[in-house]
Amino acid sequence: MHAVDTPPTRATGAPAGPGGPGPQAPDAPRRKRRGPESSRLPWLLAAPALLLLAALLAYPMGRMVVLSFQNMQLRELWSGATPPWVGLDQYTKVLSDSAFWAVVGRTVLFTAVSVILTVLAGLMVALLMRRVHKAVRMAMIVAMMFVWALPALVQAQVFKMMTDSNVGVLNYMIDKLPGVEFQNHSWFFTPTQGWIVITACVLWAGIPFLAITLNAGLTQVPKELLEAATVDGANAWQSFRNITIPILKPLLVIVTTLSIIWNFGLFTQNWVMRDGKPEPEFQTLATYSYLQAFAQNKYSLGSAIAVITVLLLLGAMAVYIRQMFKIGEVD
Amino acid sequence: MAGRPANDQTLTVGRSPLGTFFANLSGSVFAIVMFFPVYWVLITAFKPQTEWSSFTPTFIPDQPTLDNFKSAFNAPNFQQSLVNGIMITVVAVLASLVIGFLAALAVARFRFYGRRAIILVVLAVQLVPFVALLIPIFLMLQRAELTGDSIIGVTLVYIVLLLPYTVWTLRGFIAGIPRELDEAAMIDGCTRAQVFWRIILPLTGPGLVATSVYGFIQAWNEFIIINTLNNPENQNLMAWLMQNQTSRGTYWGPLMAGAILTSIPVVIFFLAVQRNIATGLTAGAVKG
Repeated sequence: MHAVDTPPTRATGAPAGPGGPGPQAPDAPRRKRRGPESSRLPWLLAAPALLLLAALLAYPMGRMVVLSFQNMQLRELWSGATPPWVGLDQYTKVLSDSAFWAVVGRTVLFTAVSVILTVLAGLMVALLMRRVHKAVRMAMIVAMMFVWALPALVQAQVFKMMTDSNVGVLNYMIDKLPGVEFQNHSWFFTPTQGWIVITACVLWAGIPFLAITLNAGLTQVPKELLEAATVDGANAWQSFRNITIPILKPLLVIVTTLSIIWNFGLFTQNWVMRDGKPEPEFQTLATYSYLQAFAQNKYSLGSAIAVITVLLLLGAMAVYIRQMFKIGEVD
Repeated sequence: MAGRPANDQTLTVGRSPLGTFFANLSGSVFAIVMFFPVYWVLITAFKPQTEWSSFTPTFIPDQPTLDNFKSAFNAPNFQQSLVNGIMITVVAVLASLVIGFLAALAVARFRFYGRRAIILVVLAVQLVPFVALLIPIFLMLQRAELTGDSIIGVTLVYIVLLLPYTVWTLRGFIAGIPRELDEAAMIDGCTRAQVFWRIILPLTGPGLVATSVYGFIQAWNEFIIINTLNNPENQNLMAWLMQNQTSRGTYWGPLMAGAILTSIPVVIFFLAVQRNIATGLTAGAVKG
């Protein structure tokens, strides 16, 4: 904190030197206020953050790429020896493995389905929130806030409990329906039903963020505009399509991108619901790469899968990154 | 959002009474369905074993009990995990706050060559899936002997995990303080250090609180990284909860009691700062 602790300078507002334990910067005493400041002080301030990011983000990222061209296994982990270089072997191994492609297909399908459902549901709830009585709206917000506040692990555990084959309340409720026998029904016996539960959990957990964010965005839509459209004879769909959606679009793009990034990296839900050892048909790219590395000690193979995952995600991130460059420019 | 005068938001023109009725009905049903799982966690934790382990559930516990909480609290490793969780989270939040604040100050208050690059780096690293980086991080920290029984390694990782968000949000808060205030203070004879202590720091107070609360939630909820880096005896509370599920999967009563004990701090903190979290996450959508 003492990086800016410097002896008092003249009241002209001449910028202080880098300060700290080092000597005062040999700056010219007379300088324009807000002119080009000594560029050492800001770098000094940012240095700890940049060093940490370099050490624990940039370096590992490079290391991950390097690892994917080697063959690191348990032996090298203990001996500390440089693992043998194997060129593209890990990648050919991964890419020619049908199990990997099954995981990719599943992850992409899950991402597509869950993102579409979550965004649509979030939008509908946001719109609904504008039509209901304020007491109902309050109830909706309170319910969503509690869901949102729960740790992802607990969210997943509740769904696991509610769909438990022996004591799950869902089975009990379905069993109550006339003519349906659902006692001891196992939801994870077939992948389709299991994935329905996982998707439902992701949907339930994801709606609050989307609905509340989009509802905040809807308040930006001028009420007069909608009323004028109604007076002019536009029906609800027309004013939604031609007024609300265009105004909401930038926000929709961002929340959809974020949802894609989050859901593509699905780990917690399938991990928890399958007790930390998902069967092949419940693997996603994240759990697959993790288990290759840490359960099978194939660190290089896991790294190769991680690299491929990041490359696949780059497409979705492109929109987001472009937005960032825009921010970087205006700023 | 929640705080606004609610009447403003309800559209009235061109709405039929029947439509309004159905809107209110579906809104109420939605609220109930959303809240039901939360309710289910709460009541399961208070049910005796005879109730939570039967196929026919009780929707209000017949004989509420605190036994589940006792058994969660006395479960193996609970107390160690609680202490670990608090230590790791507090250190990670404070460190990322101090380090992130300095960087945010640099980016928000100085014009210098490389500033934009720093902003872009901070934004871009938020997109890297951390699980993907876990392999090299594990190998690194393993070599440095900061894993296993040591919680230093995982704390370092959490600091880095929180840092980008911290820098980015604090930058927004600092940029919101008019520069004229700094300049007026300097004209009145303040040094740069005094400007920092007397103007920027107090005015960033609410931002610091919101950012640290968000950081607390992130670090507290993490269980994959610590589960990978540390021994089973040296976990945080969230990883402890996960271990309990796998080792005694069907003990739903104690597990949900544990889930409540684990969630209470984050739920309280989350509800306290929810507004800032929503804006923070979509910071990319509008200029911060």
